[in-house]
Amino acid sequence: MEKFVQLVVDGLSTGSVYAALALAIVLVHSATGLINFAQGGMAVLAAYVAWVLTNQGVPLVLAILASILFSFLLGAVLERFLMRRFERGDPDTAVVVTIGLLTLVTGIAGWLWGYNNQQFPSLFPLDTVSVLGVSVSVRSIGTTVVIVVAMVAVQALFVGTKLGLALRAVAINPQSAAYSGLPVERLLMVGWGIAAVLGAVAGALVAPQLTLTPGMLDNALVYALAAVILGGLTSPVGVVVAAWLIGVLENLAAVYVGFIGFDLKVAVPFILIFVVLIVRPQGLFGRKTVVRV
Amino acid sequence: MASSSKTSAPAASAPTSSAAPSSASSFRQRPWVRWGAPLLLLAGLAVLPLVGTESFNDTLARIGVFAVAVLGLNVVMGYTGQVSLGQIFFLGLGAYVTAYGVQSGWNIVLVFVLTCLIPAVAGLLVALAAARLGGLAIAMVTIALPIVGVPLAKRLSDFTGGSQGMSARFVEAPEGSGLYDDQWQLYLVLVIGGIVFLLTYFLVRGKYGRAFAIVKGNENVASSMGISPYRYKVLAFTIASLIGGVSGFLYMVVVQYTSPETMSFGHSIELLVAMVIGGAGSIVGSILGGVFYVVVPDITNAIDPSLTALLQGALLLAVLFVLPGGLVSLPRAVMRGLRRSPAGRGSAAPPTTPSSTPGSGTAAEPTETERQGSA
Repeated sequence: MEKFVQLVVDGLSTGSVYAALALAIVLVHSATGLINFAQGGMAVLAAYVAWVLTNQGVPLVLAILASILFSFLLGAVLERFLMRRFERGDPDTAVVVTIGLLTLVTGIAGWLWGYNNQQFPSLFPLDTVSVLGVSVSVRSIGTTVVIVVAMVAVQALFVGTKLGLALRAVAINPQSAAYSGLPVERLLMVGWGIAAVLGAVAGALVAPQLTLTPGMLDNALVYALAAVILGGLTSPVGVVVAAWLIGVLENLAAVYVGFIGFDLKVAVPFILIFVVLIVRPQGLFGRKTVVRV
Repeated sequence: MASSSKTSAPAASAPTSSAAPSSASSFRQRPWVRWGAPLLLLAGLAVLPLVGTESFNDTLARIGVFAVAVLGLNVVMGYTGQVSLGQIFFLGLGAYVTAYGVQSGWNIVLVFVLTCLIPAVAGLLVALAAARLGGLAIAMVTIALPIVGVPLAKRLSDFTGGSQGMSARFVEAPEGSGLYDDQWQLYLVLVIGGIVFLLTYFLVRGKYGRAFAIVKGNENVASSMGISPYRYKVLAFTIASLIGGVSGFLYMVVVQYTSPETMSFGHSIELLVAMVIGGAGSIVGSILGGVFYVVVPDITNAIDPSLTALLQGALLLAVLFVLPGGLVSLPRAVMRGLRRSPAGRGSAAPPTTPSSTPGSGTAAEPTETERQGSA
């Protein structure tokens, strides 16, 4: 029983990392209608920035905050100078652009810092605490809490502020938003920046566990995409729930299902996807979209 | 969309183009050119393996292998417009089936048939689920294939040899032919690869190719015309997987060794990069993609191995910015640039054919070059 609870808590923590990436993907998709395959790669770049700063003697928290600021600027700049040109065109081309971006970002990280694993300091101690008689790791709880706080903050930004209202308006109908005087292009840059920030938080929190490499978040990206499919592209809440579900289920399957084990647990979300796609193609929480011709 | 551009393109370009291009196309129309050029090409390919060095032949054979893989990706992505990130998985699957069959001592023809069938069935199953979601879901699901494939190949060590991989030597030049092994391998790649290219060429130019183009252009229009986007997406993906399997067979012919690394995520991305840089939706572009896939890493590794990924990403983005049709559209783009610069001053209306609008860039241009080439 104790093991089961530990597995669930650890699963929630990795699930939170997927959730942050998935939410970033949904954010970009709702604003610009494209899937950013480079979301993980950009987060890795941010983690490298934090790593370089800590090596220079900057305290870890400050380094992570600096990397978050860097991510915001990176997201905004990439939107303005790279994606803008492809946003209103063919979505398949735009996706290929993000794949090129992923290759480029991974290549830059590999070129600057090499492909060897680097140790990234952890924000949380490696102790365990006893909760209701079950000892669970502080890192898992901390990761989950920080990411939930980040996601709630983003949600509050969207629901409670004027900026959020403008961002939502652009996401729903960019043309009408422009007619009512909103600076649509600048808002798109902000949207990309916020998405990159979510990714950077996830990257900094998961880097100690995975150790820093240019391809660190490739697997996490796959999980995040699985969560996006399962939750439905139109439903942020659904995506987060799906990400937690995936995190917990894959942890349980790795331990309790003999054939899967730790090496094949990446297959778990895709078995889920196959089942869901057959039964409910719009995702667990998504709406069916109707297109006017 | 395909049929409208076919009829409107000559009508629009005829009055605006000067004498030089029309004489070039009539040169291409002459019967001795139409029949002579392919024969010359065939003769060249037949002699090619005999004249090169061993390493040159090996490079050519590897280009052939990956040109076939890129061609498969082109069927689903370039022609049908469904982004697939899993093509390398089917190459790897084909390579494993070949290696297992050869090690078990099965008849090589049976092995080849299985190398076509098993990846095709696997692709069919994946597509049946993935194509249910519209838009980019195929990309999001197929990205999992290499990522699940590598640990799966390590796990099924009874069939795959685990992390060590499998080697299978089964291609040796027949006695009395006087050929070296590398020459014989190159001939095999040229013949099998050539047949795959020819069949695909007929496929994408025929009824199915037009259906693919409509699905790519607008799914709602397709279904209003009685063309089920779902069915044609599944069909295209299955064909792409089958071609991927064949390229896996050829991979074993040339490399004679496969491991889980063969189908790694990085290689899958590289294959897609190669396809787009070569030219999406183009037969010639697939060959250029194969050249890119094999030659560029060789060059960058000679300079600095850690630069390979960076250069590939930068090149892909550069191509998407300046040459969305890929390398295959380079001569056409250059010709257009040359034609426009003197004519731009004289006439008020710029001589833009429908195909030169940016929206239809990737789709229409390469297919048109092919039409002109054979019409």
